[in-house]
Amino acid sequence: MSIFNFFRAAPRASAVQAKERLQIVMAHERAGRSGPDYLPMLQQELLAVIAKYVNIDENKVEVKLDRGGDCSTLEVNIELPAREQAKAAAAAKPAEKSAGNDVGAAKRPAGGAVGNGGAKKRI
Amino acid sequence: MSKIIVMTSGKGGVGKTTSSAAFATGLALRGFKTVVIDFDVGLRNLDLVMGCERRVVFDFINVINGEAKLNQALIKDKRIENLYILPTSQTRDKDALTREGVEKVLNELSKDFDYILCDSPAGIERGALMSLYFADHAIIVTNPEVSSVRDSDRILGVLNSRSRRAEQGLEPVTQQLLLTRYDPERVEKGEMLKVDDVLEILAIPLLGVIPESQAVLRASNVGMPVILDEVSNAGLAYSDAVGRFLGEDIEHRFVTPQKKGLFSRLLRRSA
Repeated sequence: MSIFNFFRAAPRASAVQAKERLQIVMAHERAGRSGPDYLPMLQQELLAVIAKYVNIDENKVEVKLDRGGDCSTLEVNIELPAREQAKAAAAAKPAEKSAGNDVGAAKRPAGGAVGNGGAKKRI
Repeated sequence: MSKIIVMTSGKGGVGKTTSSAAFATGLALRGFKTVVIDFDVGLRNLDLVMGCERRVVFDFINVINGEAKLNQALIKDKRIENLYILPTSQTRDKDALTREGVEKVLNELSKDFDYILCDSPAGIERGALMSLYFADHAIIVTNPEVSSVRDSDRILGVLNSRSRRAEQGLEPVTQQLLLTRYDPERVEKGEMLKVDDVLEILAIPLLGVIPESQAVLRASNVGMPVILDEVSNAGLAYSDAVGRFLGEDIEHRFVTPQKKGLFSRLLRRSA
């Protein structure tokens, strides 16, 4: 009980923050837990197939499954490299690469235009 | 046929072993033949908390491996009738716990005992999985603190998917919350999660709230389950929790700050 308390804005109780943070992180984790466990595998295999034809960066792929009431959406988002690089890479590729695990950053100039490819499929 | 209880939490240091010792003692005090098993292979401590560390000759792993008979490894408590401790190995690692081995020992124990209490190690690896696999009831030990609550939620997920009851599609393992190290004064100041907050987040029934208490350390110093300290709040709270577990309707105590005066303290004790 000092005069200082007078000037300090009442801080938000830390317990309230604890509860809010927990609710957010746990909602996320519970959703992940109930999701199908084939998604990472699916992502890997899709990548392997696409990488056979297109030079892609593994980190620029997103696979998401949303379950709706009457229909679910499987969303696969793959960011493709800029056109010229893709061509160059494709030309150089067959000889040296098969799965394309280490393609990407080095061949793409920093800040270069990046084509965007998206595919949505109803399942 | 005995009932198998697992005391688990995910997170370490929240009070699983303290609670196991107290709970097993409480069940035995009420006349049930009870054995408490240490599943923390390599980091055995239940023997110390129960005060029988100098009487360990054979252990759980010896029995699993057929190196000793169950009766040679079981330690009878010197204070309480009906209470036994099955210590674990201090030298082996968790791989020594095979599902078949654990099942064999539990089956043998269940012929003799009313309750088998499994004291889980921290984590969600082999030792923890083995301790919860055969459980009928799970007591989730949680501190009112973010990492403990999150880990408890994780372990609830494991119980719902990887226990024997889950795998075989039987009635699910019953789950109850034991909130330990609760400090009503800090809760009142807004510095600690409330009982209701934790209940809302974890969404399981409340078995008991054990207040933060100096009696817990005092008890473990001397190898006595804290429930035997009948004048301590923690001891009384454990005793209440055991009663609730057995179906008694007991009101929760020690969830609001206590008055400091000696007189009111005496009143509270006698209540």
